[in-house]
Amino acid sequence: MSTTALSVTVRIQRFNPDVDKKPYWDEFKVEATQGKTILDALHEIKEEQDGSVTFQRSCRHAICGSCAMNVNGQNMLVCETPLREHVDRKGRITIRPLPYLPIIKDLVVDRTRFWEQYLRVKPWLIPPENIPEKEFRMSEDEVKALHDAEHCIMCGACYSSCQVVALNKSYIGPHALLKAFLRVMDPRDSAPAARLDDLDKGDGVYRCHTIFNCIDACPKKLNPTEAIETLRKLAMKRQAFEDARRERQQQLNEPIGPVPGH
Amino acid sequence: MYRSTGFLSFLLRRVTGVALVLYLLLHIWVIGGINSGADTFNSRMEFLGKPFFRVLEIGLLAAVVYHGIDGIRLLMVHYLNVTEYRKSLLYAALAVSAILVIAGGLPILLFALEG
Amino acid sequence: MRIFLMQRLTAIALLVFLTLHMVVVHYPPGHIDVSRVLDRLHDPLWKGIDIAFLFVVLVHALTGSYMVITDVERFDVYKRALAGIAVVAGVALFIYGTQTILAF
Repeated sequence: MSTTALSVTVRIQRFNPDVDKKPYWDEFKVEATQGKTILDALHEIKEEQDGSVTFQRSCRHAICGSCAMNVNGQNMLVCETPLREHVDRKGRITIRPLPYLPIIKDLVVDRTRFWEQYLRVKPWLIPPENIPEKEFRMSEDEVKALHDAEHCIMCGACYSSCQVVALNKSYIGPHALLKAFLRVMDPRDSAPAARLDDLDKGDGVYRCHTIFNCIDACPKKLNPTEAIETLRKLAMKRQAFEDARRERQQQLNEPIGPVPGH
Repeated sequence: MYRSTGFLSFLLRRVTGVALVLYLLLHIWVIGGINSGADTFNSRMEFLGKPFFRVLEIGLLAAVVYHGIDGIRLLMVHYLNVTEYRKSLLYAALAVSAILVIAGGLPILLFALEG
Repeated sequence: MRIFLMQRLTAIALLVFLTLHMVVVHYPPGHIDVSRVLDRLHDPLWKGIDIAFLFVVLVHALTGSYMVITDVERFDVYKRALAGIAVVAGVALFIYGTQTILAF
């Protein structure tokens, strides 16, 4: 373990719309001690050097998604990223707000469009008519097929790393498409054909150009591109998929395989 | 723009695509010379046979090869589950493209130099 | 969307057509004149292959151009018009090209 402290130059993009015409750079010096995260550094700068530096954060342990920012050109959660890992050869680290979204101030961006796209795909469960008496039963394979998509913390790293979003604001976006994938693949959801119909349109699954930035940016190691490809395949046979879903839902009440404890 | 290897591949694919569309239009027009007779066709071909154009053809080869190989990479992503290997696939695509362009471009270059 | 499918299908077809074209027509590199072309093209089978090739490449090129342009938000509004232009251009180029092939 290295004990020599490294003095790092932290470049932060500043912008106060009330006062500035366009963004500019500010530089601060911070010691990159062992275990200090980029968020720790930002706090230190705000508390000891410049109280006007503005950024969003909440939980500090990678579950709320508030602190997603662009560091040295990559989107990430700064609360879980050690400062030392992203110092370049000149001893600098460059922090910008998430790209392709309007800047409110400094490192805070306006996520309205992000949320609007999310709502557009109806990210809630549309339950079947026959609600089971106890719980919905799903098999382990059915859960595996979701590829952990429910781990998404809606941090915005994927959406704001996508150049298709940069070119066209109406593209639904990897975050919402991943959520749509989750709902389409969920055996409790009763409207897969309608969902696939909506995603089939011009600004949906066919706008993804497999640039893969979303996979690289995701702090939860999720794979929106793979989800989108699956949706494309399903969209081509949506009626058959929905028929299979209806059949599946007849058995939602019944246990699948051995029930633990019995 | 957000920098990444994926974006580079996308950009190259688009740029080569647009270049190839323009080339296609030119190609259709040039071959159309036959409609004005064999002499027109031959004179166009002779003009385009000059070494300068032969060298440009290597560029064309590079564009076609890259666009095609990257297209194969895309088809693999679509039909197979390869997102885990996305970076390696991109490097492989670039390597294969380079090999094919050199293999195909050398005869063209030699021919241009002797002509 | 059908445009996406057409792109993909023509892409696969082009991998075959283009490889064939490169090997048959352009190798070994040499001076091309009418006689070299006629050696191949007076055979109606080759005429047929070339016409099919032309069709496939036009679909791929025009759907591709359409996608590149409409990806930019500013041109999204002109989607219908752009699609129309693409179809018209495609038909015109196909007719001209086919007639050229048949003229050999």
